[in-house]
Amino acid sequence: MKALVAVKRVVDFNVKVRVKADKSGVETAGVKMSMNPFDEIGVEEALRLKEKGAVEEVVAVSLGVAQCQETIRTALAMGADRGILVETDAELQPLAVAKLLKAVVLEEKPGLVILGKQAIDDDCNQTGQMLAALLGWPQATFASKLVIADGHAEVTREVDGGLETIRIVLPAILTTDLRLNEPRYASLPNIMKAKRKPIATVTPESLGVDVAPRLKTLKVEEPPKRQGGKKVGSVAELVDKLKNEARVI
Amino acid sequence: MAEVLTTAPDKLSPSAAQPMNTLGAWELPEELRMLREVTRQFMEEEVRPVEDTLPHDCFKLPPEKLLPLQEKAKKLGLWCVESPAEYGGAGLNLLGQAVVAEEGSRCKMGAYIRACGAFSHDPPNVIFLATPQQIKTYALPTMEGRRKAFVAISEPSGGSDPARAIRTRAVRKGDRYVINGTKTWITDAGNCDWGILFARTGELGDRGGITCFIVDSNTPGISFRRIPVIRAYSPYEIHFIDAEIPAENRIGEEGQGFRVAEKWLVHGRVPYAAGVIGVAQLALEMAIEWVKQRETFGAKLATRQAIQFMIADSEMELEAARLLTYKAAWEGDLGHDNKIAASIAKLMATETAGRVVDRCVQMFGGMGVAQEMPLERWYREMRVKRLGEGPSEVQRMVVARSLLGDAARTSR
Repeated sequence: MKALVAVKRVVDFNVKVRVKADKSGVETAGVKMSMNPFDEIGVEEALRLKEKGAVEEVVAVSLGVAQCQETIRTALAMGADRGILVETDAELQPLAVAKLLKAVVLEEKPGLVILGKQAIDDDCNQTGQMLAALLGWPQATFASKLVIADGHAEVTREVDGGLETIRIVLPAILTTDLRLNEPRYASLPNIMKAKRKPIATVTPESLGVDVAPRLKTLKVEEPPKRQGGKKVGSVAELVDKLKNEARVI
Repeated sequence: MAEVLTTAPDKLSPSAAQPMNTLGAWELPEELRMLREVTRQFMEEEVRPVEDTLPHDCFKLPPEKLLPLQEKAKKLGLWCVESPAEYGGAGLNLLGQAVVAEEGSRCKMGAYIRACGAFSHDPPNVIFLATPQQIKTYALPTMEGRRKAFVAISEPSGGSDPARAIRTRAVRKGDRYVINGTKTWITDAGNCDWGILFARTGELGDRGGITCFIVDSNTPGISFRRIPVIRAYSPYEIHFIDAEIPAENRIGEEGQGFRVAEKWLVHGRVPYAAGVIGVAQLALEMAIEWVKQRETFGAKLATRQAIQFMIADSEMELEAARLLTYKAAWEGDLGHDNKIAASIAKLMATETAGRVVDRCVQMFGGMGVAQEMPLERWYREMRVKRLGEGPSEVQRMVVARSLLGDAARTSR
């Protein structure tokens, strides 16, 4: 079985993001970019499946600008076998990504597609679900545990009320939650090997996918600055302020 | 692995297809950027939390903390990064060594013990010129962390001028050499099991009269005396009184020692320079965080121009030192003589790091000199760095002589 892992290039989780002056988005020029942490968990899970013998090949796919190669290379340095870059300068929204991934899946025929449950930049939490719908495949989202056996995946999901365990038939879509695993560091020998692993480049045009945005971003704003707190002298004063100043009761 | 990492010269020569394309020339190769990332992450997530539990002036981790770290680092291939791959080292080229040295120094004891010893300790690189048996006996147990080694060049008569200063004598007697003399400022020697000794077999003042030996610390006639200095990690004085060592412990031929020593010193300057840059960069990052929070006279320190200038100057100077260090590494990796570039890098890096840590102490105020912060320790250690591996003045002399030639020499 082949595992396909989607890896997104996002602003590094350590960076304090700044909104662009024209409010069209966040500043990415000169900002450190890394692999989406949920996707790292996805790569790690695929590699563990390979180490257990459940998967023979791990393919990392990224979509976007040419620099997404670096994100793929990071996955290769962790241990993925090869990469696919769907290169485009166009803005890619979740539906476009899902359509592109569908085209790649039909080409590659993986037994399992792993995605992060969401990307830490836009927090959409849509792509995995959309991909499952477009392919007509079963999906297990927010996975915190995965067991593959007899052509099925038993997945423990983190849901509001606790943990839910479901069994789905493969091929399937899996999206990762934070507690699925702890991703490994890329080792020096694997970093060196990654240089020689192939990355194939395709484009939305060559895949025949229309990626035109369906949503329009009106504006991106910073959250309001936090106001300083106040000390009150008595319960009566507190109630008064909650009622007349904060107007919450 | 070394050959894979060698900078590809063809990237830098103008090609017909892409005339004037110098993009990428000022950036590390992708694999080294990845290595830098992994090393930094390892330091932040694995090494520093362990080190934080230890006292201010610590220079080694207790075995129960060190061994698990070493196991993780070894799995990542971050192991004896300056040693050849065929003996189990990472086999990194000089540029790769510079990258790991800078990142590995980003901890409290990093100025002298990179990554708190997690990457193990490289044996002195001249040992790899010895016989396969000697490499097995001395180098390998050192790389595994079971034995430690010193390098003894300096003497009470001087250190930067070994051709004249080395007076410790090795006299051949049958199948043995008899050693007499004193070495000094030998880092950590008293805790080492063996070492590399440079001793005189020829005439005084003769560059060709120096020979290189392996000595076991427990050889009768060898004694060690600790010299307490400004930093906790002590140098030692080593006394040789009729100490007899087997003739096969000689590395290379008689009189070849100086050539061996010089290559070792030049190459060693690159990671040395990168290491102090790592310490100073971490100090600067701490200062930046501090001045954004600290208020004086009703405003954050970060709004003060005096502070902004210190921050800006430190960043500029560190970047300059880093690029000069990369250049020294790169020249060495291309197989060029990088003696001048290595001297420039060592001088620039240590002088810069000293200045930057000093400014950071200033920005932190009282906390800068408190032993609750590593700055106090780094301030002392950076002072030593301007003396070790050839003081600033000797590096300047190397550069000046290369420019002035004979005119730089005083008549004799």
